[in-house]
Amino acid sequence: MFYKVLDGVKVIEFGHLISGPFCAKILADLGAEVIKIEDPCGDEARKQEPFLGGVAGLERSGLFLYLNMNKKVITLNPETETGRRIFTQLLSNADIFVENNSQKKMKHLKFTYTQVKKINPRIIMTSITPFGQTGPYKDYKGGELVMTEMGGVGFLSTRELDTSRAPIKYPAHLFSHQAGLSAAVATLGALLYHHGTNSGEQLDISEQECVIPDVMNPVYSYSYTKRIASRAGPLSVAPHHLLPCKDGYIHNGFVREEHWRKFVDEVMGHPAWADKEIFKDYQTRAKHWDELKPLILEWTMPRTVDEIYRTSQEHRIPIGAVYSPEQVLQDRQMAARGFFVEIDSHVTGNLKYPGVPYIFSDIPKEAPTAAPTLGQNNEEIYCTRLGYTKSDLVKMEEAGII
Amino acid sequence: MGIAYLKGTRVIACTWGWAGSWAGSILADMGAEVIKVESRRKLDNNRWHFKLGVTGGVNSGEFNFTNRGTKSITLNMRKPGAVKIFKELTKISDVIITNYTPRVMPSWGLGYDVLKAVKPDIILVSLPGFGSSGPNKDYVAYGPTIQAASGMTFSHGHVGEGPILAGANPADPAGGMWGVLGVVAALNYRARTGLGQNVDVAQSEGITAYLPELIMEYTMNRTISPRMGNRDEIMAPHSIYPCKGKDKWVAIAVGTDEEWDVLCQVAGKPDLSKDERFADQYSRWQNQDQLDKLISDWTKDFTHYEIMNMLQKAGVAAGASLNVEELINDPHVKERGVYIEQNHPEAGKSIVFRSPWTSALTAANPPAPCLGQHNDYVFKTLLRMSDSEITKLTEEEIIY
Repeated sequence: MFYKVLDGVKVIEFGHLISGPFCAKILADLGAEVIKIEDPCGDEARKQEPFLGGVAGLERSGLFLYLNMNKKVITLNPETETGRRIFTQLLSNADIFVENNSQKKMKHLKFTYTQVKKINPRIIMTSITPFGQTGPYKDYKGGELVMTEMGGVGFLSTRELDTSRAPIKYPAHLFSHQAGLSAAVATLGALLYHHGTNSGEQLDISEQECVIPDVMNPVYSYSYTKRIASRAGPLSVAPHHLLPCKDGYIHNGFVREEHWRKFVDEVMGHPAWADKEIFKDYQTRAKHWDELKPLILEWTMPRTVDEIYRTSQEHRIPIGAVYSPEQVLQDRQMAARGFFVEIDSHVTGNLKYPGVPYIFSDIPKEAPTAAPTLGQNNEEIYCTRLGYTKSDLVKMEEAGII
Repeated sequence: MGIAYLKGTRVIACTWGWAGSWAGSILADMGAEVIKVESRRKLDNNRWHFKLGVTGGVNSGEFNFTNRGTKSITLNMRKPGAVKIFKELTKISDVIITNYTPRVMPSWGLGYDVLKAVKPDIILVSLPGFGSSGPNKDYVAYGPTIQAASGMTFSHGHVGEGPILAGANPADPAGGMWGVLGVVAALNYRARTGLGQNVDVAQSEGITAYLPELIMEYTMNRTISPRMGNRDEIMAPHSIYPCKGKDKWVAIAVGTDEEWDVLCQVAGKPDLSKDERFADQYSRWQNQDQLDKLISDWTKDFTHYEIMNMLQKAGVAAGASLNVEELINDPHVKERGVYIEQNHPEAGKSIVFRSPWTSALTAANPPAPCLGQHNDYVFKTLLRMSDSEITKLTEEEIIY
């Protein structure tokens, strides 16, 4: 864990890939005990790139390692009768049950909320699906690409001057993670509410609805003017672009004319061309961008991202440092906050990971534990906790129960 | 769902812009009473940005969208008299949430230590762009600068091309949601221990935490992931394809050989499933360029909804790329009650959306507040000030 906030809270995770496991990770990071139930073949995420050393393997997926740190992991096949009994036993002792399976699958396994509620009326069952438990698309499949487009945010990206090019999704699985976070927030709200009572509930989290909040300006804009926002919408105060420099790119997110003036005067040292009529305001600069761009690049190219970033920011100018992953890892700000953490494991050796984006002032920060190997906690959970013997484990494994 | 999880919780919101304001709105959706501290001396710039069709008062579409369900008081925090009132309000509150630049609240004499002395179990959740500590803590933080530092911008773009600007700002809604996580986590902690907390959330780290693959590729292998456009590591077809009409697209993501066979059937091209170039996932992935052309040839004669529904009903993941009008009017989104129409006293009618889970509460929650709308409620009812006190404070521009 990172912080002992949810001491004593017990979570069962029956998740795969990203949204369910990330929701459960957030709870584990905050000190809840999370037991992740994996199919005997392992969570699909174990097969996702990037792999350690570029070599695939069940214990080598960077995505899996990140999503499943701080958890315990057991293998279980709930389609078997013994598997069902074990699953039921685990649920009966849990406060929270996180799952991101299709409704069809949960119905087939006979672990719908109605059934789970009978096992444990206090439980909070957080169910994450692409489109929610109700509505015409409730059985539709999702995934990052589909959710991005169906959430309305996909259509708006990336900024193009030519909309004959397709919209481009965001990097990696950004929105799948956002769904997991949103689910964790709702779960903790429910946990607080039901604390000390004998009641629980099911949370119906739709991944589409977790993407929708990102579409903000276009909605109220449409409300008032019926204007439909597009990727080819007007660029803001020119030059509002990504500009190459010596070791990467900077972004000038100038919002006001004074930002441009300060940048040109205080940061660039007022080059002669700065006084030209054709560059006097946002409109003229946008119109004459082809002439302006090389002049700016003449200045940026000999300078590094950090040089330009720090000088501009010291003058309160909104320049962004378009950090590559390498540069993010070297960022002095994230280092000062201790954002990246190192976790050692006998399988991966010492690896650096993104940590948690928050700091608790009055709770000591703990050392996170590495994602377990497949079935790593079988003995602990089945034998020590549930009373099975070691030879039971062998038989169950042979029979495909675990 | 629709239960008031945070009923009885009072939140003071020192917020502006999108991330902090929206965090307040989510908390209001969860049943908390959220009081936003504003001032005529320096308005939340969302009150004057994007005025669009608003004819009355100091309001804007953006403000009303992001501050839905909250209350507003005016307090000129530069004045010691206002700071004193803020402390009185803190005594009867549970949470303070802020996304001001870190130096601001301490500059008013309201750092966490002071607030803790006023109310020992107060929960302060700060939500600045880059964090409240560290050398860059006071850097100018707008969505694009935050996203740039997070690593997101660098990796966003077409295959084989340079980074390109996104059309939306994920940093704000992500930051808002991490902020609310800080609040509910700290409330849970307080329920068990009686202790308060300062939870400091860095919005930039909030986005990096959503992009582990990019970081792990570097930490494990010293490799910088290339820009992928709409492609996947192994799934194919996996892209966005043109449909009938201008700027109409559909996303298709085929994960298995079975789904591929189904797609070929649906597309009326059963022979394609036997085509060697596309017979298994690896071959399809290797021959994506040809594959995408074939798929486009099919999709371009149908609307994006037609392709989506045909494929989804047959068990293949597909999604129409919805523009805002389509999103608001989508039959599924409508049935789920995501968007509602609200009538604002000064800003008129507009569409707002609910938090990603509550439904009943959002409809019941009022629209965003007018400036200082709840001064009487907070100063008279909650803080029990007399009319003459309030008049004096207004004259002195403390209530301002």
